[in-house]
Amino acid sequence: MTQLDHGKFSRMTTTFHTLLALDVFVLFFSGYSLMFNDELWWMVGLMGGASGVSAVHRIAGGGLLALIVFWMLMMVTTDTGRGNFREILPSKGDFDAFIQDVQFLLGNADERHQNARQFAGGTADEIPLLTYIGKGVVFIFAIELALLTVSGILIWSKTGVMDIMATKTAAAAFVTFHGLLGVIMLMGVMFHIFEHGFHPALYPVEVKAFIPKSMIPEDHDDDTEGTGIERLELSPSWNMASTIVGAMTVIGIVSVLLGSLFDEGYPVPRELAIGGGPADILLTVGINMGVFVLLLGLVLQMYGNLLRVRWQKQLEQEASEPATATDGGHVESDD
Amino acid sequence: MSYREHLPETKGYPRTAIAINAVVALAVTALILWWAADFAVFYEELFRIQPVAEGANAGVGSDWTSGNQVAWLDFLIAITHAADVIMGVFILFMVFLHWGAFRRLAGRMRQPGDSGSSAVAADGGRVADEVATDDEAATGDDTVATDGGESR
Repeated sequence: MTQLDHGKFSRMTTTFHTLLALDVFVLFFSGYSLMFNDELWWMVGLMGGASGVSAVHRIAGGGLLALIVFWMLMMVTTDTGRGNFREILPSKGDFDAFIQDVQFLLGNADERHQNARQFAGGTADEIPLLTYIGKGVVFIFAIELALLTVSGILIWSKTGVMDIMATKTAAAAFVTFHGLLGVIMLMGVMFHIFEHGFHPALYPVEVKAFIPKSMIPEDHDDDTEGTGIERLELSPSWNMASTIVGAMTVIGIVSVLLGSLFDEGYPVPRELAIGGGPADILLTVGINMGVFVLLLGLVLQMYGNLLRVRWQKQLEQEASEPATATDGGHVESDD
Repeated sequence: MSYREHLPETKGYPRTAIAINAVVALAVTALILWWAADFAVFYEELFRIQPVAEGANAGVGSDWTSGNQVAWLDFLIAITHAADVIMGVFILFMVFLHWGAFRRLAGRMRQPGDSGSSAVAADGGRVADEVATDDEAATGDDTVATDGGESR
């Protein structure tokens, strides 16, 4: 048993996860540098001003649309897709896992529920494909992405919404709706990054999201009780890293939440809001911290792919070694 | 792909399904975006003031006023604000829940530099090379408490 634990996802799923993550990160960076432009002015500048940002956002939006249509087709047309869909439907166990997590935090439970375990250890047979958080992420993100895509397509061309909404203000209000809707996903992705990057046994990245299960050997000889977490050594940097990123995640979530409330949103505000002052400085710092957490997520996801490449090379090397051992030579070097 | 020989069979997605669905997805996307762009590729409408707007508040900027009076859109924005707050508070709770659970799990793991704890020498001391790695690991993590630490 290694820190890799058991594989979960097929090669297609891990590749899709990477493409979706990259695309959504670009959408966040371009979209929220527009919505929170007074806090993230430097980001607007970095992407070539207002017209540059909207071009980036539209290109990434087109990519998201293609990814979503592709995924929906895969879920419907293949056996594996239909089977996996049955696996992610919520069950009573997921609700119990949530309750038990609260009990675990309070010290009333000794173990986390099977449906809450990211680190499966030696008893992986009973661990479901996704944790209750994983299922929640899939469902919430699916609903969010669907609503964001539909509203995004409608505001793609201003004339399109104008036809439906009759006035410019109403069309602009639709843009506001699109932005406010995305805030839920923005906060959710921050949590997602913290949850999968800062589990002490998996820190700094949960590699099973990047290495396909076809490349991870399963070992069921292990008869020991428990998850095996006791045998793992904590990374020296985990304590400080999880504290800093945890704090930044909380500050980031609170800040984008407040930011979305302060930017009241309706095109012509009901009340005159005068900007400036210390509150805005705090908000600026907080929202930039949130963006930093997203940037960290981008880096971690690149690192996950780097680990996959390394893992693949190592497997290929190990597989080729016994064949060449008889003459002592080495046919090819993977490095 | 020799490294796969000794690995278990796993059920993935058929290659042809991936290829066909990818092509279909790209085609559907192109079609939707073409429709969204009003079947024109490089064309953007300009927003202009329309002094001749009709209706109860006819005159300059009248459509801005009337746009703010779309009741269901106003409600939609209000309800989205509410959803932001409810989901935000829930997500914050989940962050704290997992942060706390992670600290408990971390407390159960072997502490940094503790990997040699099983290699205790007969006299109660530790094996020499284990001590060396201990010192090396300990230099960078003075802040780590032995019990897994506590938050700030």
